[in-house]
Amino acid sequence: MTGTVVLEARGVSKVYETRGVETRALNGVDLRIREGEFTALSGPSGSGKTTLLNLFGALDEPSGGEVRLDGESLAELDAAALSRLRLHKLGFVFQAYNLIPVLTATENVEFVMVLQGVPAAERRARAGELLREVGLEGLGDKRPLEMSGGQQQRVAVARAIASRPRVVLADEPTANLDSETAGRLLDLMGRLNAEHGVTFLFSTHDPLVMQRARRNVRLRDGHVAADEERPVA
Amino acid sequence: MVLRLAWRNAWRNARRTGVVVAAVSIGIAGALLTMALNYGMIFQMVETAIESDLGHLQIHAAGFDANPELSVRLPDGARAEVARLEVEGGVRAFARRVRGEGLVSSPRASAGVRVVAVEPEREARITRIVDSITAGSYLDGDARRVLLGAELARRLEVGVGDKVVLSVQDLSGELTGEALRVGGVFETPSAALDESTLFLRLSEGQALFGLGDAVSEVVAVAHRRSRVGELRDRLAAELGDAAEVRSWEELQPALVYMIDVFDQTSWLIYAAVFVAMAFGIANVLLMTVYERTREIGIMRAIGFGRGRLVATLLAEALVVTSVGLALGFALALGCIAGLGDGLDLSYFARGLGKFGVGSRIVPVLRPSDFTIPVGVAVVTAVLAAAWPAWRAVRLRPAEAVRQT
Repeated sequence: MTGTVVLEARGVSKVYETRGVETRALNGVDLRIREGEFTALSGPSGSGKTTLLNLFGALDEPSGGEVRLDGESLAELDAAALSRLRLHKLGFVFQAYNLIPVLTATENVEFVMVLQGVPAAERRARAGELLREVGLEGLGDKRPLEMSGGQQQRVAVARAIASRPRVVLADEPTANLDSETAGRLLDLMGRLNAEHGVTFLFSTHDPLVMQRARRNVRLRDGHVAADEERPVA
Repeated sequence: MVLRLAWRNAWRNARRTGVVVAAVSIGIAGALLTMALNYGMIFQMVETAIESDLGHLQIHAAGFDANPELSVRLPDGARAEVARLEVEGGVRAFARRVRGEGLVSSPRASAGVRVVAVEPEREARITRIVDSITAGSYLDGDARRVLLGAELARRLEVGVGDKVVLSVQDLSGELTGEALRVGGVFETPSAALDESTLFLRLSEGQALFGLGDAVSEVVAVAHRRSRVGELRDRLAAELGDAAEVRSWEELQPALVYMIDVFDQTSWLIYAAVFVAMAFGIANVLLMTVYERTREIGIMRAIGFGRGRLVATLLAEALVVTSVGLALGFALALGCIAGLGDGLDLSYFARGLGKFGVGSRIVPVLRPSDFTIPVGVAVVTAVLAAAWPAWRAVRLRPAEAVRQT
């Protein structure tokens, strides 16, 4: 495994406490994600996939250990800095209902660029280009409720890469899609990874995703049980 | 982006937002209409007082405030005061008067009266008695004619052309009297004026009271009411200690007190409307935060900072408030336009007349009737949005995105 490390978990643990009962979701995870990787985090329910993805995405804080993005420890950043970091360095694709319902597809893609302060003309052009890239040309004026689940996920992918992030974190992105639509979505993300070098990290149950991923990290009981790299065909 | 999101979010649940907007607009319209009618009534009281008696300011001899007696008078026809008023650019008109007390008798009855002796031509430019004549004519015809208020004439059972006897105590303390004829009858919105006032010519009043060429007061009106204070100060400085210059507010502090009470009450009315409005808006926004928890989580995840989130919720509250305000203003203006030449309260005419108010109340809106609701509404919207916004920013993105 070579290349620049983008994300790194060092001895990361996470304990949730609900009504005095502690649940250990992660237990000393060490993991490095390198630039350009297409990695799937898999494992049974409760193994800690989503928890680890949330920690990598600066959406949550570890109970122990350290998460680093581009070599910078997230623990040293305050809420505003974490928000800026998510805006500029991370892209997110969630399981479903990813989009802002009152905005059109184009506006959803533009959303992060607005937050980044990209000039209007440039972001409009980039949004159009990205929607073409994900195969949604001509659907820019549609609102999420006017699109299918697959189309919505494609818009979410376009939005995730619109900010030109260091890594896209995708939490069960195919969970609500039929296998054909899921296949097309994975084709799209694979192409973005291969052609544009976008780094993808998935949490997934879906064998299709694991099959397409070039690296499979398997979690069990809150720790890394297996880490396998599949040679590029 | 924040405004676009706020506007579209506000109308996502159009029915719910519509209910709050309707509540705000009806509340605002009701408050505004109440203000306009109340102020219209007070405005009429002030106008009646100014136009039927007070003028904008009055000049008396020094000591009149403490001892408003016939003996405290401006000598020599108030020559010094008149000379000053004639060159004062801020004065639109002025007139001299003699003012005293007396008893007027007819063959059937008698009544105590305020006797006001005026210069008819000059007085006509100060007060609107000339426009209030309902029978006979103003003091521009024969000598030894008096004007009586309609109610006074009714009590005395006299009409135009009838003879009355006016008895007064003159300057030397002697009782004296004069037989006069009723030249005209007037009726104003002021019941007090109509019940107990008798007008006659200045020269006849001076003779009756034994004043020689002295007068009791000089009454003046300014070109602009808002400049009366400055005008009073200037005249007081130039006339020196020999004269007392008083504005209408100083002459009738009760009117000023009523305006103050009205202003205080208006704040209470606004407070009631806006507190109700605040709960409505807070409710809508709280529902919004509950319903959109996942969406807020996703927005936060992709870099929508807390500041922007708070700004969006505040903007959403302001959208609801602004639409409610605009509709409320439109509704109020529509109602006021519909009232045309005023609200007919003739059933209460007698009671209203005691306060110098006519039977028809014309609503009066002041600029502050628009600026105050806008200002208070903005503050209310911000306060109403504060709690939901606080809840929204406390949502942890990792938990919020898991909500369905």
